[in-house]
Amino acid sequence: MPGQLHAAFLRSDHAHADIVSMNTAPALARPGVQAVFAGSDARAAGYVRFPLMSNFINRNGGAPIKSDRPVLAHGKVRFVGELVAMVVAKSASAAQDALDAIEIEYRDLPAAATINDALAKGAQPLHAGVPDNRSFIWEAGDADAVAHAFPGAAHVARIDVVSTRVVASPMEPRAYLVSYDAASDCYDFHTQAQGMAMLRWQLAQLTGLPEEKLRLHLYDVGGSFGQRSSAYPEHAALMMASKKLGRPVKWVSTRSEGFLSDAHGRGIQMSGQLALDKDGNFLAARYDFKCDMGAYLTPTGCSGHLRNVAACMTGVYKTPALYGDFSLVHTNAAPIAAYRGAGRPDIAYVVERLVDKAAADMNIDRAELRRRNFIPMTAFPYTSMTGGVYELSDFAGCLDKALKAADWAGFAHRRAAAARTGKLRGIGIGTVIEGTGLGRSPSDQIALEFDAQGKLTLCTATLSSGQSHETTFTQVVAQSLGVAHEFVGFCSSRRDNEILGNGSGGSRSMVGAGSVCQIASQKLIAQALPLAAEALEVEPSQIKFAHGVFNANEGGKSISLEALARRLAGTHPHPMNVLAESSVGSTYPNGCHIAEVEIDPETGVTQVASYFAADDCGVVINHSIVEGQVHGGVMQGAGQVFGEHAVYDRGSGQLLTGSFNDYYMPRAGLIPEIRMDEHPVPSTANVLGAKGVGESGCTASLPTLVSAVMDALRPLGVPELDMPLTPAKVWHAIQDAKAQQKVKAH
Amino acid sequence: MFELSYLKAKSLSEATSFLSTHPEAKFLSGGMTLLPTLKQRLARPTHLVDVSALAELGGIEAKGGQLVIGAITKHYEVAASAVVRKVIPALAYLAHQIGDQQVRNRGTLGGSVANNDPAADYPSAVLALNARIVTNKREIAADEFFQGMFATALEDGEIIVRVQFEVPRRAAYEKFRHPASGYAMTGVFIAEFDTGTRVAVTGAGPGVFRWTDAEAALAKQLAPASLEPLVVDHTNLNQDIHASQEYRANLVKVMAKRALQKLLNT
Repeated sequence: MPGQLHAAFLRSDHAHADIVSMNTAPALARPGVQAVFAGSDARAAGYVRFPLMSNFINRNGGAPIKSDRPVLAHGKVRFVGELVAMVVAKSASAAQDALDAIEIEYRDLPAAATINDALAKGAQPLHAGVPDNRSFIWEAGDADAVAHAFPGAAHVARIDVVSTRVVASPMEPRAYLVSYDAASDCYDFHTQAQGMAMLRWQLAQLTGLPEEKLRLHLYDVGGSFGQRSSAYPEHAALMMASKKLGRPVKWVSTRSEGFLSDAHGRGIQMSGQLALDKDGNFLAARYDFKCDMGAYLTPTGCSGHLRNVAACMTGVYKTPALYGDFSLVHTNAAPIAAYRGAGRPDIAYVVERLVDKAAADMNIDRAELRRRNFIPMTAFPYTSMTGGVYELSDFAGCLDKALKAADWAGFAHRRAAAARTGKLRGIGIGTVIEGTGLGRSPSDQIALEFDAQGKLTLCTATLSSGQSHETTFTQVVAQSLGVAHEFVGFCSSRRDNEILGNGSGGSRSMVGAGSVCQIASQKLIAQALPLAAEALEVEPSQIKFAHGVFNANEGGKSISLEALARRLAGTHPHPMNVLAESSVGSTYPNGCHIAEVEIDPETGVTQVASYFAADDCGVVINHSIVEGQVHGGVMQGAGQVFGEHAVYDRGSGQLLTGSFNDYYMPRAGLIPEIRMDEHPVPSTANVLGAKGVGESGCTASLPTLVSAVMDALRPLGVPELDMPLTPAKVWHAIQDAKAQQKVKAH
Repeated sequence: MFELSYLKAKSLSEATSFLSTHPEAKFLSGGMTLLPTLKQRLARPTHLVDVSALAELGGIEAKGGQLVIGAITKHYEVAASAVVRKVIPALAYLAHQIGDQQVRNRGTLGGSVANNDPAADYPSAVLALNARIVTNKREIAADEFFQGMFATALEDGEIIVRVQFEVPRRAAYEKFRHPASGYAMTGVFIAEFDTGTRVAVTGAGPGVFRWTDAEAALAKQLAPASLEPLVVDHTNLNQDIHASQEYRANLVKVMAKRALQKLLNT
C-alpha cells in the first residue's frame, strides 16, 4: 500500500523470565526506523486480554481463569517466541537490523515446558492468578455411577497415552497488513482468517473497539487447520503502530517465527479405564485429561479440548456409566488452539486404544468387541452421560462395509506373506464418531445477489483454506436453482463485512453455510415467482418452477430464471436479491477405518501398506471434495502418528523442533493409496442432510494407524507404545521385547 | 538477511584474489547451505563471490582409472551423467539421493564437500572412493581432508577446483533418511578395489569416517555374513531427539549390509 511501513518483532529467547530492563532507544536511532514499541505501550493501549470462546462453568461455579496477555510482553515472558518489542521501519530488513540494537535484560525463572513439570509440587506459577498452573478444572459425566460400576467388572483395561503437541505448519505463513484511517477512526486489516465474524469479534474484545471500526479484507488462505481461528498479538501490535504513525504497517512471518509463535495443536495427556463384564460388554469408563494450554489460553483452545472431547467420550459405544475430569494446564510453551479436530481426534484416540487394549487383554477379536458394544440403530437419538446427543447412525453397517472392503478376514495370509520377506505386518481398526457443526455465531447467512448484467454471486462469510467452497456452495445453489454451475459466482469476503456467519472450522462449512445456500435458493425462487408471473403476464398461482424455468400452467409461456434475472437487471437493488439466514444443530459423522502396515524390524521403519475408510458423512454434495478432505485428514493424522511432535527442552524450555530439519512432516509416499467408500445416513439436523467431513480423516487415522502398528508388534511382546511411532522408537521397542524374551527363556 | 554485496567472478584467479583482500567475503556456488544461513541471519559476509559459472571449476571426465568431476558440477548433473553412470554408477545413484529436486538442481559437489555437513551424502563417496581433492593451491587426499563436523583441511581463501575419484571395481551406497530433514541419518558407501574394500559412513557420527573393522572383515570375505559378528561402537556416534547412539550404530550395520548386498548384485 502507498506509504507502507514494515514491522519486525523481538521475540523472547527465554521460556520464563522477568524482564528486568529494556532500552529501545538504540534501535530507534538505527537507519529507517520510525518507531519502537514495547510492553508498556501494549498496557497503555489496553491490549492485554484475549477473549475465550468458552461458556464452561464447573461444579464450583468457576470459569476458566483468563490471565492477561499484553500483546507485547510486559514485565514477564512466558514462552520462547513471545513478542517482546516491535520495530517499525521503512523496510523489513531495516526493521530486522534494528531488533539487534534493543537492549534487554532478563532474570530467568524456572521453566515448566511439559504438563507434568507444570503440575509438579513447587512448580513456578506462570500467572499470579493461577497458583497451581491449572486455569480450569472441569468434569463431565457421573463419577458416582462409574465408581459404583467398576467393582463389579470382570476386567478393567487401562491405558495412558498422550496426544502429542504438534505445529500446524500451514504452507502459507502468517502475513498481516493493518492500516488505520483517522478520518473514519477505522482499522483495515488484510489478513488470513477462517471466518470474518470470529476474527472480528476477537479483535473487538481484545481492543475494546466496536466491531464496525474493524474492517476485514480476507482472501483465500493457504492452509489454516484451526491455527488461523485465533486473533494474534501481532494483529493488535500492528494496530498500535499504524495508528501512531498514520501509515499502513505490514508484517510477514518467517517459518522460524511460525514454529515458535503460531498456535500449536493437541497436547493432551490422557488416561482411561474401561470396565467390562465377562462377555466383553462395556460397563463403565473413566478418563482423565490434562490439557496443555501453553503459556496463555487462546480463544479456541480451551473450548475445543473440553466440549469436543466430552461430546464423544463414549465413542460409538453404549457405555452405561461415564466420567471424565479435565485440567487446563499452563506450560512455558506456545499457546494451543484448535487444530484439525480440536479434541475430537484426541478422544477417539484414547477411546479406541482402550478398546483395542481390552480386546487384547480378553483375547476377543477387535472388530467383534466393537460390534458387541455399538450403540444400536434402535437407540437413536442417543444421549451420552457426558452430553453428546447422537443422531441416527449405522455403526455396524459402516463396520461391515470396511471389514469386507479391507478383507479383514484374509489378513493372516498377508501377514504370513510379509513374514517371508522379513517384515512385520499388522492390521488396525478404528470406529469413531465426532460432533461437528457448532459455531460461535448463532446463525449463518448467505446472500444471493445479481449485478447490473444479471449475473449471480453467492456471498458468504465462511472463508476457504482448501475446503472448496467456491465449488461446493455454488454447486448447491446451481442445483437448487436448476441453473448452470458457472452461472453462480462466489465471494467470501465482501468489503462491507455485512454478511454474518461462522468461519470454517469444526467441519461445519457445508453443514452450516452450505445448508443456507439451499435455503437462500428456495427463498430466491419464491421471491422471483411473482416477478416471473408479471413477466409472463399471468397470475402467480398459474406459475410452476422446475429445472431453472418458470412455466405458466397454460399457454406454453415460460421464462428461465437466468433470463428473468437479466430482464430485471436494470433495477437496483435487483429485485431477486435475497439474504437468507438459518442456524443448524450438531451433526455426528462417523466411520470405520482399517489400515495395514509393514514394519522393517531391522530399521523400525513403518510403511502403510493399505488404508481403507468407510465414512458416514451424511448426504454427500461433491464426492471428489469429500474424498480429498478424507485423504488430507488421514495424512495429517498419519503425520502425528509417525513423527510430528513439538518438543521443548525440559530444562531451558527451548523449542528443539523449530524447523523442518527437526520437525517431521509426512511425505506422500507414507500412504501410497487411500481407498474410500461412503456410507451415508442423512442428517436430520440440516436441510442438506450433510454431516461434517473436514476433520473425520484425522479423527479416525490416529487410532487406526497406531492400532495397526501395535498389532504388528504385539506378537513380539512389545508393550503399548505411543505417538510418535518413529523408526527409532519402534526399533528400540523391538530390541527391548527381544531382550525380555531372552530373560524369560533363561 | 543482512545487507551484502554480490560479485559474479569472471575467473578463478579473480575470485581467489578478491577473497584474499576481503577476508569476510564468501564463495557462493549452489548456496544450498549458505543461503538458508544468510536468511536466518546466522552469517554476515561482506560479499558473496559467485563462482558457479566458472568453466575452470566444471566438467566431468574419466581418464587413467580416475573419474574427475569439477567442483561446480550440480548434483543432478552427476546423477544424469552418462560418464558417471558408466564408470561409477553408485556415485550417480548417491547424487540422485541428495535432498530434493530443487536442491539437486542448485547444489554442487564442491560446495557439499567443502561444507562437510556430518549428514551430507558426498563425503562418504569421496572417502570410500579414495578421492583426491584438488584445490587452487594443492591436492589433498580424502583421508586427510575431512576433519570432523563442518571441518576440513581447507585453509582461508582456498577453494576446491575438482575432485578426482578412484574408479573401483564395484561400489554401492545405501542411505537411511532422517525422518524430518531427509539428510542421511546414516549413509554407507562401500567401494571394492583391487587393493581392498573401503567402507565410509556418513550421518551417524560427528563427521564422515571409515569403518575399518568392516574393511578388515570384508578383506577376508566380501559377504554380508562377514559384517554380522561386528559390533559398532556407539559411544562416538550422534544422539538427538530423533535417534539414540544405539539406533544409529544399528543403522550403520544394516545400511552396510544392504550396500554390500547391492554391490554384490551389480
